[in-house]
Amino acid sequence: MTGLTPKMPLLDVRSLRVAYGGVVAVADVDVSVAEGEVFGLIGPNGAGKTSMIDALTGYQAPSGGSVNFDGRDITNMRAHRRARLGLARTFQSVELFDDLTVDENLLVASERAGVMLALRDLFLPARAPDRTNVDWAIDVCDLGGVVDRYPSEISHGQRKLVGVGRALAQKPRLVLMDEPAAGLDTDESLALGQRLRSLPDEHGVTVFLVDHDMSLVLAVCDRLMVLDFGHAIAQGSPAEIREDPRVLEAYLGSHGTPVATTAAGSGS
Amino acid sequence: MSSYLLFLILGLGSGATFAILGLGLVLKYRSGGVVDFAHGAVAMFIAYVFVNLRSQGVLPLPLIVVPDHIRISSTGIDTTLAIVISLVYAALLGAVLYFLIYRPLRFAAPLTRIAASVGVMLTFEAIGVLNFGTTSQTTPPILPTTPITIGSLTFPSDRIFFTGIVVVLAIALWLIYRFTRFGLATQAGAENDRGAALIGISANRVAAINYVIATVLAGAAGILIAPVANLDPTSYTLFIVPALGVALVGGFRSFWLVALAGILLGMGQSEIIKFQSQWTWFPHGDIPDALPFILIILTMTTRARSLLARGEAMTQRNPSVARPKNPMASAAFCLIAGTLIMLLLQGSLRNAFISSLTVVCIALSLVLLTGYVGQVSLAQMTFAGVGGFMLGHISHGWGLGFPFSLILAGLCAVPVGILVGLPALRLRGVNLAVVTLGAAFTADALIFNSQGFAGGLVGLPIKPPHLLGIDLSIAEGHDYPRLIFGIMVLVVVILMGLLVARLRRGAAGRMLLAVRSNERAAASVGINVPQAKLMAFGIAAFIAGIGGALTGYQQGTLTADGFATFASLGLLAVVYVAGIGRISGAVFAGIMMSSIGLAVTFLDERFGIGKYQTIVAGLALIVTAIANPDGVMSTTTGKGPAVLYFKLQDAVVARIHGTVTTKTPAAESEQPAEARPAVEQPHHV
Repeated sequence: MTGLTPKMPLLDVRSLRVAYGGVVAVADVDVSVAEGEVFGLIGPNGAGKTSMIDALTGYQAPSGGSVNFDGRDITNMRAHRRARLGLARTFQSVELFDDLTVDENLLVASERAGVMLALRDLFLPARAPDRTNVDWAIDVCDLGGVVDRYPSEISHGQRKLVGVGRALAQKPRLVLMDEPAAGLDTDESLALGQRLRSLPDEHGVTVFLVDHDMSLVLAVCDRLMVLDFGHAIAQGSPAEIREDPRVLEAYLGSHGTPVATTAAGSGS
Repeated sequence: MSSYLLFLILGLGSGATFAILGLGLVLKYRSGGVVDFAHGAVAMFIAYVFVNLRSQGVLPLPLIVVPDHIRISSTGIDTTLAIVISLVYAALLGAVLYFLIYRPLRFAAPLTRIAASVGVMLTFEAIGVLNFGTTSQTTPPILPTTPITIGSLTFPSDRIFFTGIVVVLAIALWLIYRFTRFGLATQAGAENDRGAALIGISANRVAAINYVIATVLAGAAGILIAPVANLDPTSYTLFIVPALGVALVGGFRSFWLVALAGILLGMGQSEIIKFQSQWTWFPHGDIPDALPFILIILTMTTRARSLLARGEAMTQRNPSVARPKNPMASAAFCLIAGTLIMLLLQGSLRNAFISSLTVVCIALSLVLLTGYVGQVSLAQMTFAGVGGFMLGHISHGWGLGFPFSLILAGLCAVPVGILVGLPALRLRGVNLAVVTLGAAFTADALIFNSQGFAGGLVGLPIKPPHLLGIDLSIAEGHDYPRLIFGIMVLVVVILMGLLVARLRRGAAGRMLLAVRSNERAAASVGINVPQAKLMAFGIAAFIAGIGGALTGYQQGTLTADGFATFASLGLLAVVYVAGIGRISGAVFAGIMMSSIGLAVTFLDERFGIGKYQTIVAGLALIVTAIANPDGVMSTTTGKGPAVLYFKLQDAVVARIHGTVTTKTPAAESEQPAEARPAVEQPHHV
């Protein structure tokens, strides 16, 4: 792999392998994400993107390789403990807590309630919950209008944003987003891109973005990696990726034209 | 050595029954997603049909009014003919049950169907008791019992036939469901009934046929076992526990595994009886009854996954959950209203009201556990029983006084709750329900039947409560039940209600509801899902334990009767139907629906429903489940008794509001606890 190797990787993945029975979804992939960048992972359907996120966040046991986060080996750590370390994620199918309001969705994420907190909350005098991170997440994702609604009462685009907000309400160091733009219209996608870009620049949250939407990924990311059939076929800056013949092949077949001309020039 | 083998072979009889019952359960589940708790009760009823036909020529009807039977012949009729008639009868019964109950509920939440099937079970058991009595009946063998001798081993030949029948059935079912169009249609319908309809399969007809076949199998199992095990309504109804166990071992799918598990279970139980008679060091007590549970736990812990994998959609549709608006005001209202009722009532009705309150307390534990956290538990009465009996030991043996003895008794139930909750870390929904039922059944057999822990038939004496020199006991001379005792119970139950309300409103409630909504997402925000579930089991067990301990104070000498397996089943069904996601549901269940509660006792005293109580309760459960799939106290359906009830409640509250506000400012904000418009839960498919 060419591409830049950051000096202080926040997330360091070595020869990660995910296999379901005999099917290899992720084949010995190395990734390194530096603090403060937006890292993109793209690839056609079935390339292994979600498998990769699942393995990084503890939802799928890898069959090989190692995952380091902030200098700690988290390869076999359980999902909720990774979240508590500051490794947040969103889901492709959003997966909000349907029984809770939008506000409570964010609040429960910011509280990271454990049994001790819950018991204290039960038997000791009530305390107002700390809303700092919740209000920040509401602000970043512009959710002010829907906080008291239930997930079933808001639009798909808003639900996606709540999903992002819920991840952010944990005030994570790194947030992995699984196709946050899927199902959004062009305007919504553009607005989302701006919000994502602001996360490392203004709020100190590193972003690992997985998406189909080439124009979004090329516009927002500092560096990206292309996955095809579980293999990392290219890695580099948006400009490099745009020119990479292997990527063109994977995406458009051998006679393709350069990708995503609409996004040209807005890459870095 | 050969005597050990002999017991193994003798166990083939009950093993075959478990296997055939289990096969029927698999059919019902595969075709319509129904876990039918009434399966054993139906087998029991058909067994009675067969025995009555054979010995007296009488065809019993599933009715309690006259005529409850039709006389076909003045003497008995031929065995083969009796079997054929009984099986046809079973087929008709299956069709009627399907079209009356399970078809209307085919899109309802799994819990609604469980509640309805519990209603069917209670109804049939009650019919059995009313029409056939509780003394067990025997009938001559059906299969040839000529002794067979192999080596030094001599055993009745019917055990060979039993096994043969199971093997033939398993092969036949496997062939049918693997290779015929009907079998494939069953599969298609179970996986996607709308999709199946699109390609021209009537999922409805296929499910009906499957249900009928399953009911015939249940009948066959009942008939086969009748000559081997004494026939009585309760023990045959309870065959559901081992049958569910073997169905679970087969994952509610594999006919082979179910048949094998059934036979092995029967052999194992029989062998344990041999061990118990042979080896003095072997633990006594009702170990054979505990065996299904041990089997279930072993298979489940080795098989199930702790976190749902991607694409494994949640199929559980959760009942709606209310958020108590102003718990302190509601509590104040309940205190006033409860005290007034306590003052108005006397004697048996006041006692029934106190019983209602204890049921409310145990029901509250279900609101927390099943309502808020979505963990279906059929062991709540077990937790209550542990609390009750521990209170006896604490108050007498350890000399600890009220209220510490009460609190400690509740705490004693916590480890039991956590233990029963352990399978919940890997199991969900119906599977969890079966495991907790097995746990309740085991506790029933091993703990509550033990002389030392539960005082046996006589019961365990409980020292009456005293607080700061005030006598809070239930009886003093002829004064029974005393007002002050009732108020003590009322206060304790209200405190438990406040605990549940507080839990719902705080960080704990958010955490638990997050777990209920979506375990994967809950883990993604740092929630330790297993820990949260165990905490819920622990707190719920504490509340139930307090309820059981209050029952102990009420009864003075506590017996295990009230904590039997059926009691837990009945409680879940009743609370579910009342509205398991809200505190008012627990209150409604305890006062209006519990068979020992105020409403039923009043009806009994006024109209003498007496012996028909269980059957009324069972029928009411079925009807309510069909009419209100989301619970009586739910406002989501916007029609039916719920809305009527809330109009009534609003009127009453308005009246109280007008009269009471001058006296107690607290009552001002009194309102239905579920004032927020409940949101219809999305269907996770």
